[in-house]
Amino acid sequence: MMDLLENSDELERELEPKLAREAFVAPATGSLLLHGALFGGLVLYSLVGGLFHHNFWGSPGAGGAIQVNLVSSAMPLPADQPPNNNVLATETPSQAPAEPAPKTKQAVDETAIPIAGKQVKKPQQQTAAKTQQHQPQPQQDNRAQYGEQAGSSIARATQAQNGSNGPASITAGDFGSRFGWYVDGINRKMATSWYKPEVDPRTPKGARVFLTFTIRKDGSPTDVQIDRASGSTTLDRSCQRGVQRVDTFGQLPSAYNSNTLKVSYYCEY
Amino acid sequence: MKAFSRLFPLSVLALTSFVALQLPAQDWVHTGTNLGNDRIRIAAADLKLVGADPQTPTLKAAFDATLYSDLASAGIFDLVSKSLIPQAMPGSPQEISLPQWSAAPSNAAMVAFGALSASNGRLIVYGWLFDTRNTGNPQVLGKQYNETASEEMARTVAHRFADEIILRLGGGINGIAETKIYFVSSRTGSKEIWVMDYDGQNQHAVTHLGSISLSPRIAPDNSRLAFSSLGRDGWAIRMYSLELGRTVSFPAGTAGGSNLSPAWSGDGSKIAFSSSRSGDSEIWVADSSGGNLRKLTSFRGPDVAPCWNPRTNAQIAWVSGRTGLPQIYTMDLDGANVQRMTDGGYAVSPSWSPNGQALTFSWNRKYGPGAPGGQDIYYFDIASKRWLQLTHESGSNDYPSWAPDGRHIVFERAIGGHPQIWSMLADGTEQHQLTHTGSNQMPNWSWK
Repeated sequence: MMDLLENSDELERELEPKLAREAFVAPATGSLLLHGALFGGLVLYSLVGGLFHHNFWGSPGAGGAIQVNLVSSAMPLPADQPPNNNVLATETPSQAPAEPAPKTKQAVDETAIPIAGKQVKKPQQQTAAKTQQHQPQPQQDNRAQYGEQAGSSIARATQAQNGSNGPASITAGDFGSRFGWYVDGINRKMATSWYKPEVDPRTPKGARVFLTFTIRKDGSPTDVQIDRASGSTTLDRSCQRGVQRVDTFGQLPSAYNSNTLKVSYYCEY
Repeated sequence: MKAFSRLFPLSVLALTSFVALQLPAQDWVHTGTNLGNDRIRIAAADLKLVGADPQTPTLKAAFDATLYSDLASAGIFDLVSKSLIPQAMPGSPQEISLPQWSAAPSNAAMVAFGALSASNGRLIVYGWLFDTRNTGNPQVLGKQYNETASEEMARTVAHRFADEIILRLGGGINGIAETKIYFVSSRTGSKEIWVMDYDGQNQHAVTHLGSISLSPRIAPDNSRLAFSSLGRDGWAIRMYSLELGRTVSFPAGTAGGSNLSPAWSGDGSKIAFSSSRSGDSEIWVADSSGGNLRKLTSFRGPDVAPCWNPRTNAQIAWVSGRTGLPQIYTMDLDGANVQRMTDGGYAVSPSWSPNGQALTFSWNRKYGPGAPGGQDIYYFDIASKRWLQLTHESGSNDYPSWAPDGRHIVFERAIGGHPQIWSMLADGTEQHQLTHTGSNQMPNWSWK
């Protein structure tokens, strides 16, 4: 009995460090591995990150302040903002089938040795004169387009050239390029007549409502309509009221030979 | 083990923050619409002299100075300083090089230029306004003026050209360069009605009554001038025809009691004024011919200084002392819908803005012996009842009057007991003194 007790004591003594060792080693190894992996990841990240050139603002290479010049005034660049968010386009494809692909001509092996006694169909040589007689190939613009803006008549480059990058845009013709100062005037007038505090503050920042309205010859706006709502009724109504608050945008330029001007304007919260 | 598991989240946090520090910092620039109303950068080139008439240099100097000051005080332009504009003096669209003007240091978005010649007593001015960024189609405005050659006329032509520019670029609001300011001056010994250009030039007397004349109010069509004058029967509303050059009758304004502070409605058909003919001072309205008289207010306490909402012609703001100190109230034309505007202090002399949205008046918000603050001009938005103090700690300011463009206010400022006429932009900036001799009071800006 004593022996047994001694034995069990010895067993316990023998087992204890083993158990303790086992309980410690496994998590410690795990922890070491995790730290090693994290550190390695960091080193790898900084190494890989260092390979690419980062353009920090105010980094020593940039030398503090940067003068920014408007390039668009010097050369006609495509507008850097998306051309027009306000596209009445459908997301589903049109039912009209696309034009059938032109049939591919049968390839004729020119290098093949003719077999004696067999009539070979010579490929018809098309002369230049003959192709002239053909109808010109119809442009691909008769295809149904979807998911993107159809070719519009706005000369984007000229619009940007006039600095009228504001929220107002003239939807047709060359008014924007000829009378950029008038479009600037619309933006300036709207900036003072739209009261932003009228908008519900829960409206997400950057929400835009697109309006269309018509400016009469005497400069008074009429026919104010929401073209694309922002989702916030207060923003929609405040923008609409902003236009209605304007008595006149100023008489339309006398060189402009139409009686009305159609304007698309957005208010951005 | 336990300690480790407790420390584990902390160490992760420390590591992630270390990683976050290592990330390239991303900059954000927030911009958008309605963040400010940039002024138009405009340059006014000196006119080019054509011909060798000895009169032309003085005419040119008058024109250049007037055009420059008109554009500078319009309130919508950022005028390029004379020292920054190119040396070349273009006299015609063929001679101007737009890149010269759009480049630094002038950086002008618009440039006004032209040519002036005088021959045989005629003054001929060609003026253009070009958009420097629109090289393809730069002309915004082209004008030709042919007037008699005099310095006065050169100034008038410059005013007209400035008004054309302001009308085009200022969103269809007429410029005020040809408007007048009527005021009371005692420089001849008695208080008479005087008139001057909006910039303080060309001051001369209108009335010569030898009595005391106060509160001039010009008719919207500039044909007649209403004012209150002390006569044999006390204070009466009198009418001076600027077309006939003499006083004409206004029967409604002569009955007993003190008749004071007339006010024209925006269409020129009615005149409101205060009269104490019924015992207490009340607001009365009559046709501009003097008939059809009726009383609008019947409150105990004085009711004085009416002014019309020029946009609707259906509301009147006035000063009432029914609660003690004078306060600003508004009411409809039938005397209903009375609303108190000011919440205390001492508020007098309302003037209603041309767009009908705001009032300006003179207010001493902490009135009383030893109280801080003085009599200052305030801008008061009627819909929101919010106000903005326009003058600060300079003299005692009273009698504000709106310019027809809604961008300027003329007022009286007394420093050390010497009242003079000042003008400023409606946000309180660019305050200029217009009169300097004698004591000058109660300005009223003409309607056009």
